[in-house]
Amino acid sequence: MKNILQHLRSAAVALALAAPLAASAADISLLNVSYDPTRELYQDFNAAFAKYWKAKTGDNVTIKASHGGSGKQGRAIIDGLEADVATLALAYDIDALYEKGKLIPKDWQKRLPHNSSPYTSTIVFLVRKGNPKNIKDWDDIARPGISVITPNPKTSGGARWNYLAAWAYGQRKFNNDESKTRDFIGKILKNVPVLDSGARGSTTTFVERGIGDVLLAWENEAFLAQKELGPDKFEIVVPSLSILAEPPVTVVDKVVNKRGTRAVAEAYLQYLYTEEGQEIAAKNYYRPTLESVAKKYEKNFPKLNLVTVDSEFGGWQKAQKTHFSDGGTFDQIYLK
Amino acid sequence: MQFKLKNITSALLASGILLSAQVSLAADPDIETLRKTIEELDQKIRVLERKNEIAAEDAAAKKKETPVVVAGPSGFGIKSPDGQFEYSLKGLIQLDYRHFDKPESSDDGFTARRIRPTFQGTLFGKYDFRFTPEFGETLNNNATSPSSNNSRVIDAYVDARFDPAFKIRAGKFKPFVGLERLQGGGDIKFIERSYVSNNFLPNRGLGASIYGDVLDNKVNYALGIFNGTVDGGEENTRIDTDNDKDYTARIFTTPFKGSDSVLEGLGFGIAGTYTNSATGALPNYRTPSQQLNFFTYTTGTVGDGSRVRVSPQAYYYYGPFGVLAEYARTSQEVRNAADTVHDTLKNDAWQIAASWVLTGEDASFKSVKPKSPFETGKDGWGAWELVARYQENSIDSSAFGTAASGVAARFANPTTSAKEAKTWGIGVNWYLNQWVRLATNYEQTKFDGGAGTFANIRDRDDERILFSRLQFQF
Repeated sequence: MKNILQHLRSAAVALALAAPLAASAADISLLNVSYDPTRELYQDFNAAFAKYWKAKTGDNVTIKASHGGSGKQGRAIIDGLEADVATLALAYDIDALYEKGKLIPKDWQKRLPHNSSPYTSTIVFLVRKGNPKNIKDWDDIARPGISVITPNPKTSGGARWNYLAAWAYGQRKFNNDESKTRDFIGKILKNVPVLDSGARGSTTTFVERGIGDVLLAWENEAFLAQKELGPDKFEIVVPSLSILAEPPVTVVDKVVNKRGTRAVAEAYLQYLYTEEGQEIAAKNYYRPTLESVAKKYEKNFPKLNLVTVDSEFGGWQKAQKTHFSDGGTFDQIYLK
Repeated sequence: MQFKLKNITSALLASGILLSAQVSLAADPDIETLRKTIEELDQKIRVLERKNEIAAEDAAAKKKETPVVVAGPSGFGIKSPDGQFEYSLKGLIQLDYRHFDKPESSDDGFTARRIRPTFQGTLFGKYDFRFTPEFGETLNNNATSPSSNNSRVIDAYVDARFDPAFKIRAGKFKPFVGLERLQGGGDIKFIERSYVSNNFLPNRGLGASIYGDVLDNKVNYALGIFNGTVDGGEENTRIDTDNDKDYTARIFTTPFKGSDSVLEGLGFGIAGTYTNSATGALPNYRTPSQQLNFFTYTTGTVGDGSRVRVSPQAYYYYGPFGVLAEYARTSQEVRNAADTVHDTLKNDAWQIAASWVLTGEDASFKSVKPKSPFETGKDGWGAWELVARYQENSIDSSAFGTAASGVAARFANPTTSAKEAKTWGIGVNWYLNQWVRLATNYEQTKFDGGAGTFANIRDRDDERILFSRLQFQF
């Protein structure tokens, strides 16, 4: 009995001593559901933010990240994956969080600068060293006998950017003759031997499995592949025209309200726009939107003629419906 | 084939025989054609391999999202990939042939003792439900005829498993009281349960219980509240007809569970119920055949006050041997039809049952799963089990009227109701496989009283029964 009392007294003292510590440092966790090629970006960024948040508030924040094809990731959130923040490849996939799940407000894109896209990218070609098939522009990847690696637009955001960039090129080349553009896209798709579900899968197909002559890739992914495997193995080819890819970010309101993580989730996304956040993006080959950082890294990013989804396709909703929804141009061409 | 071709290709490429610019033959158009062909083949093989890889990845991802459909030895069902939601169909069918050697007036014949489809499942990983209708025979202790044929709901309940130590069950279900009663209808060793289960402890109740396993799952506790039913009775699903409730409690321990001790299979405990009913119905007590009453209260006699049941209980399983013992005593306050005589009657029953699996399988509280299922033309003979049981059911002697006092002065007529029933029985179970079982039991019962006249009270005729059963359980 005496022992029990002693234990209870010790426990009470320990609790009393620990209480102020517990009150001063909360342990918070966030889940960032992102698209395929952002693994390295968010690995660096999450560490930096955790350090920043600890210094600012004293709280420990642990950020978990989930990566996959952008469309697939969006559907997972709608189906119940409790993402505090979504950092997907394109606005349509985040729009779906409102349209299909009412997880965010309709005007989510107005909450952060640059339509909630803290960094941008574009689509380039990654070819094997020496460019043995002499691929220089979109026409070349439509040539017979060229093996083109690109993921499936049904599941991958990157693939949809690839498709739209090729479409925009075709429309210009054929003076907006849609039928000729379709033929052109058909020739490219005919050259695709494997459709991966996400951009990282396609990189694996091209880089690790040695399949194909050209990979249609996010610019950051192409740079990363070159950096990881050496410029002696791959070269980046910048086409004459490409598309400005604007991967957006948002807090998932229903989740942060439920989990009580709104403050830290909002701070997390805002930190992407800070100088430090933009530096991390640039170092991971994403084009920064903060002018000072963009200027600092401008030599790293080739200048090219870029179209936007809004100007060329009337926004993502229209582009999705026309090209990627069931029965859209992709289905019509690919399944023909 | 793919690998072979690829290896040859790789070897040729690596050795530079075909590709090296230094090889003088490189300029040869045939060699160049061959080199291109090999490169094309190499790409085709790589594409095929990658497609297989992607298909395997897709299949693995789909597996994580696709509900699991089960149709096999464990039954039929479907569950979500994360196991949080589950639905399964189970069933129990028992077809009996019942032969009465005595009393000769009883009719032999077939009966469908239990026909029970069970729909059960889990929601959100912690809420279980079970719904079992009964289309077989109805046994009811407070019915005029103990056997009838009314389809009904026998189980309909929901379990909330908040913690292994704290669970809640609500609906119509077996109250956590009787040991043998808590054995599944398809797991019991004899064709019919004992007096303790059938004549004393509640069969099914409508109410709620909290229960759980504590102390390293070695102690199981349960507390419950029910509308209440007569000894051995089954509540229906109608609204209660009085404000008096049955309170139940049980504690059961298996102190050597999980150890190497020879006592590993020992479990013992005690259970009880309490109610205080102003006008409670009273039960009839059935013979082991469940088709005849050997004791009934005289018309107008009712429960009048408290009813307390106490039941110490134990089992022990060691290798192929098993023993189950159980006692129940009911203290029931009653009054006669004229409300002139009040008393507290103390009736009791007990049983001890032993089982021995001849084919070497372990005995347990559950059914025996044969090591070698029976199949014609093959070696397996299933599992064979011998069972034996002795049981008694005694009625408080003060229940009976005498020649001097007259029946009306007490609560039962000694010339129609026996004071005591003593039964021994033996049987054999043949488990053809884990789903099919054939069973035969012989039971012989002697009664004390229950026939004759006040002047010459005789013993009621023995009951000698030979029952056989074909059981399907999945």
